[in-house]
Amino acid sequence: MAHTHNHSTKIDFTFPAGAKSLLLGGIALGVICLALTFFMFDDALHTRFWTNYLHNTVFFTGIAFMSLFIYCAFTTAYAGWHTVMKRVWESYSQFLIVGLILMLPLVAGVFLHWHHLYHWTDTSLMDPANPEYDHILAGKSGFLNKYWYGFGTVIILGVYVLFANRLRSLSIKEDENGTSDWSYHQKMRNWAAAFLPIAGFTSAALIWQWVMSIDAHWYSTMFAWYATASWGCAAFALTILTLIYLKSLGYFENMTDEHLHDLGKYLFAFSIFWTYLWFSQFMLIWYSNNGEETTYFYTRVHQYPVLWYANLAVNFLLPFFVLMRNSTKRKYGTLVFTSILVLIGHWWDYFMMIKPGALHTAHEALGHGHHGDHAEGHHDAAAHGADHAADHGAEALTHVANNTEDIAHAVEHASTFEAGFTLPGLLELGTMLGFLSLFLYVALNQLTKAKLEPQKDPYYEESLHHHV
Amino acid sequence: MSAVVSSIRNPLVTGNKSYHDITEDLCAPTEKAPGLQWVIGFILAITLFSFGAFCIIWTIWMGIGSWNLNRTINWGWDITNFVWWIGIGHAGTLISAILLLFRQKWRTGVNRAAEAMTIFAVMCAGLFPLIHMGRLWLAFFIFPYPNTRGPLWVNFNSPLLWDVFAISTYFTVSLLFWYTGLVPDFATVRDRASGVRKKIYNTLSFGWTGSAKHWQRWEYLSLVLAGIATPLVLSVHTIVSFDFATSVIPGWHTTIFPPYFVAGAIFSGFAMVLTLMLVARKVLNLKDYITVEHIESMNKIILLTGSIVGVAYLTELFVAWYSVYPYEQFAFFNRALGPYYWSYWGMMICNVITPQLFWSKKMRTSVFWTFFLSIIINVGMWFERFVIIATTLARDYIPSSWSYYVPTWVEIGIFIGTIGLFFVLFLIFTRVAPVVAIAEIKSILKSSGDQYVGKDAKHHSHPQPASAYDDSNGFLQYWDGNDSSHDSITILKSVSGEATSVVAEPTVLKASLKDDLKKVEGIGPKIEGLLNAAGINTFVDLANASVESIQGILNAAGSRYSTHNPGTWGRQAQMAADGKWDELKAWQDILDGGKE
Repeated sequence: MAHTHNHSTKIDFTFPAGAKSLLLGGIALGVICLALTFFMFDDALHTRFWTNYLHNTVFFTGIAFMSLFIYCAFTTAYAGWHTVMKRVWESYSQFLIVGLILMLPLVAGVFLHWHHLYHWTDTSLMDPANPEYDHILAGKSGFLNKYWYGFGTVIILGVYVLFANRLRSLSIKEDENGTSDWSYHQKMRNWAAAFLPIAGFTSAALIWQWVMSIDAHWYSTMFAWYATASWGCAAFALTILTLIYLKSLGYFENMTDEHLHDLGKYLFAFSIFWTYLWFSQFMLIWYSNNGEETTYFYTRVHQYPVLWYANLAVNFLLPFFVLMRNSTKRKYGTLVFTSILVLIGHWWDYFMMIKPGALHTAHEALGHGHHGDHAEGHHDAAAHGADHAADHGAEALTHVANNTEDIAHAVEHASTFEAGFTLPGLLELGTMLGFLSLFLYVALNQLTKAKLEPQKDPYYEESLHHHV
Repeated sequence: MSAVVSSIRNPLVTGNKSYHDITEDLCAPTEKAPGLQWVIGFILAITLFSFGAFCIIWTIWMGIGSWNLNRTINWGWDITNFVWWIGIGHAGTLISAILLLFRQKWRTGVNRAAEAMTIFAVMCAGLFPLIHMGRLWLAFFIFPYPNTRGPLWVNFNSPLLWDVFAISTYFTVSLLFWYTGLVPDFATVRDRASGVRKKIYNTLSFGWTGSAKHWQRWEYLSLVLAGIATPLVLSVHTIVSFDFATSVIPGWHTTIFPPYFVAGAIFSGFAMVLTLMLVARKVLNLKDYITVEHIESMNKIILLTGSIVGVAYLTELFVAWYSVYPYEQFAFFNRALGPYYWSYWGMMICNVITPQLFWSKKMRTSVFWTFFLSIIINVGMWFERFVIIATTLARDYIPSSWSYYVPTWVEIGIFIGTIGLFFVLFLIFTRVAPVVAIAEIKSILKSSGDQYVGKDAKHHSHPQPASAYDDSNGFLQYWDGNDSSHDSITILKSVSGEATSVVAEPTVLKASLKDDLKKVEGIGPKIEGLLNAAGINTFVDLANASVESIQGILNAAGSRYSTHNPGTWGRQAQMAADGKWDELKAWQDILDGGKE
C-alpha cells in the first residue's frame, strides 16, 4: 500500500509535564510501598521487602538488558524495518545503569547480612565441623558466594552499561554527522555483534546468582534461557505500550500498523518460545520424576496453584489465541490489552520464580529460632535421601527423617496464606508500579535527549516504507 | 516487504542478470548432458551406497550381533548417525520458513537445495532406527494399529514413539513444501522442453499455466505449509532430545537439551548446506546466484548457532559441577578426561572454537575456508552425538560393566552407505530440477540485483517510493524509477512462469521491450509476428493502436488474416497492461476466439 510519509514529522520529544508528575508520583508510591512493607508488614528478616525489591529490580533490569540484546541482534541481522522506532530500545537500554545501582543494596546485603534471601549466604553451613553441615551448599560454594555475587553483578552489568552507552552515543553521533558512507553504522554493527556472545555467555551467570540460587539446592540447565525468554516477552510488551502511548501524543507518525504488526508477531513468537522453554523444562523434570528436581515444581503446583495456572494462562494461552490472527496485531486496543497482561504475566512469572524459595528459606531460618540452625539442608524429597543412601549409609537415614519434618512444613505452607507470597498483594502492586514508573521516567527522559527517529540511519528509508 | 532498498545492502544476484538470463542459467543443468565431474561423483556415490546396502543386508542376514553393541552399550554408531542425519535435515525448513519470517532475502539462493537436502537427510536418518530393530520386517510394530496379538500395543509414553510420529510428519510436510516450490519451476522447464521430457515435466508441474489464480493459490499454499513447518522443525529435534533427556541417565537428563539440540541441528544443517552448495555453485556455475554475500550470511548463522551450542555445552558442564550430584559430575568428568576424551575435545574444538574464526570477515568471505570449516563442523557435530551416546553408555552405574566401544566394519559401512545414498539423491536432484528456485530469484531481482543495489548499481539511489509498492502475491510489481520521466514498467510472469516483459531501464532497453501478445485471445504466433513487424510489441502499444490500424495491418498481410476481427484486442491488451489478469481471463471465457 502506498504510504504517506512525513519527513518533517515530530521528532523532538518533549516529556509531557502531566506524564512527568504521574511517573514521579508512581515512583513515590513505590517508595512508600517498600517502606510500608519494611516497617509494618514483614517478618524479622524483612523477607517480603527484600523479595519485592529483588523481584522488581531483576525484572526491569532484565527488560533493559533484553532491549539492548534485541537491538543488537536486529542490527547484526540487517533487520532494517525497526529503524524508525529503534530509539525506544536505545532509551530502554539506558536503564541498565539504574539497574546496576539498584542491585548495589542487594550486593551489600549479601556482604553485610542485611537480608536472608539466599540460603547460601549462611557460610557456617559449609563448615564440615558444623552438625548442620550442608554438603550440597558446600559443593556449590565456589560459585554461590558473596564475591561472585558482588563482583559478578557489578562487572557484568557494568559491561552491559558500557555497550548500551557506546551504541547510544554512536547512534546519536550518526544523527549529527552521519553521511552516506555509513561509517557510524559500521561501527555500531561491530559493537552490536560483539555484544551478542558477551550477553549470551554472561546473562546465565546473573540469572543463576540472582534468581536460581534462591532455591539453593535446586538446579536446571534450562533455567537461564527460560528466565531470559521471560524478560524478552516483557520487553516486547512494554515496547508496544510505549510506542502506542507516544503515537497517541502525535509522535512516530511514520510508525504505522505495519511496524506494530511486526512487533505483535514478535510478542507472539517470544510468547511461544517462552512456552516452549517452559514446557521443555517442566516436562523433562516431571517425566524423570527425580525428587531433587521435582521439589521445585511440586511446591509451586501444590502450594501456589493460582500463581502456577495463571502464569500459563496469561503468558501462553492469552497471547497465543489473541495474537494468532493477523488483524489483532494491527488493532491498537487489542495490542494494548494483550501487552499489559503479558507484561504483568511475566512479572508474575518472576514472582513465582523468587517468592516460594525465599519464603521457604525464611521459614527455615525463623522456624528454628536462629540463623545457623537449618534443617533446610535436607528439604529435598525422599528420593534425594534414598539416592545418597548408597554413599552415606547412616547419614541418609537422617535425611529421610528430616524429610518427614519437611513434609510437615510443606503442609503448613499449603494451608497458610502468606500475604505477599501466596499471591501478590497491594504492596507488591504498588512496588511494581513504582519500579515501572522509574523505568519509564528514565526511558522517556532519554528520549528527549535525541531525535525520536534516526533519520541518518542507512535503513531509515526502508523502515518508512515497511510493508508486511 | 519494503519496496525501498538501502544502499548499504549488498546485491544477491550478480552479473547484471535479466529475467531471461535467470531462466537460462538455472534451467541449464537440467537440459545439458552431465559433465565429467558429475559422472565421477555419481559413480563414487553409487559405489559407497552399494557398500552400505551390502552392510545393511549383512546386518539383516547375520543379525544385529554383527555390530559391537552389547547389553550396556545398546546405542552406538547407529543412533549417533541417526541424530546426525536428522540434525542435518533441519536447515532446509529453517531456511525456507524461518528465514522467510525474518525477511532474509538471501534465502532464495539456497532454499531449494537446502530443502532437497532436508528430505534426503531425513531419509538417511530414518534408515537407522529401522535397521537397529534387527528384524526389519517387523518395523510395523512401531505403528499403533489394531492388532490380533493380544494386548500388545506401542508405548505411547515413550519418546521413541513420539519420534516416529514427529519425523514422519516432518518428512511429509517438508516434501510437500519442497514440491510446491518446484511446481512453477517444473513448468518453466516444461515450456522449454519437447517430446517425452515435456510430457513428464507437464505431469510434474500439474499442468501449471502461470495464471494469476495459480500464483495466488501457490502463494497461499506456501504460506500455510511454512506455517505448519515452523513448529515441526522445532518439534523434531526437541523430541529427538527427549529420547535422551526424559531418562534419568547422568549426562542425558538435562533440561537444556531441547533448545540446545535444535540449535545444534541448525548449526549442522547449515554446515552441510555450505558443503554442498560451495561445490554445486562451482560445478553448476551458480556463482551469480549463490554469491559471497550468501556464503557470508550462512557463516554468520554458523557463528551464531555454534556459539549457542557453546553456551549450552558450558552450561551443562557448569551445572554438572553445580549440581553437587556425584554421578552427573562423573559423567562430565568422564566425557572430558575419560577414555573418549578425544571425541569430547574434538566436539569442543570443531563446534565451538573453529567457528569463532568467522568473526573475521576475511574468513567468512573465503570460499576455501568456508568449505574447510563446514567439513570440520560436520565432523564436530557427529562427535557431539557420539559423545552424548557412547561416553555415557560405556561407563554406566556399574563399573564392572564398563567397556570401550569400537564399531565393527559393518557399522562403519552402513554410515558410509548413507553418505553415498545422500549424494546419489542429491546428484540426481541437480539434474532433474533447478537447484536454485527460478521464480523466487526473479522475485528479488529488482530489489537485490547488482544493477539495482550495491557499488556497481546502474540505477542509482533508492527509487522514490511515492507510488512504489508490491502487492501481496508478489507476482506483479509496479516500479517507479527515481527519474519521474520513466514510465511505470510492468513485470509479468507469463504462462511459462518466465517473465516476458523484462525491463530495466526503458531508455536503454526500449527496443527489446516486448510482451507476449498471444495472451490476447485471437492473436496467434503469426499475427503476433505481423504486429511486431509493425512496431507493436507491448500490451501498451496494442492498446494504444486503433482497431482500424490493426485491421489495416491484417488486410495488408493477405486474405488469410483479413478475416480476423481485432475489435476486442485493444481492450484485452489494456487489461493485460493494467495487470487485470483475472478480469481478462473472465472476459476471455465469454469471448469466442477473441470476438464478442
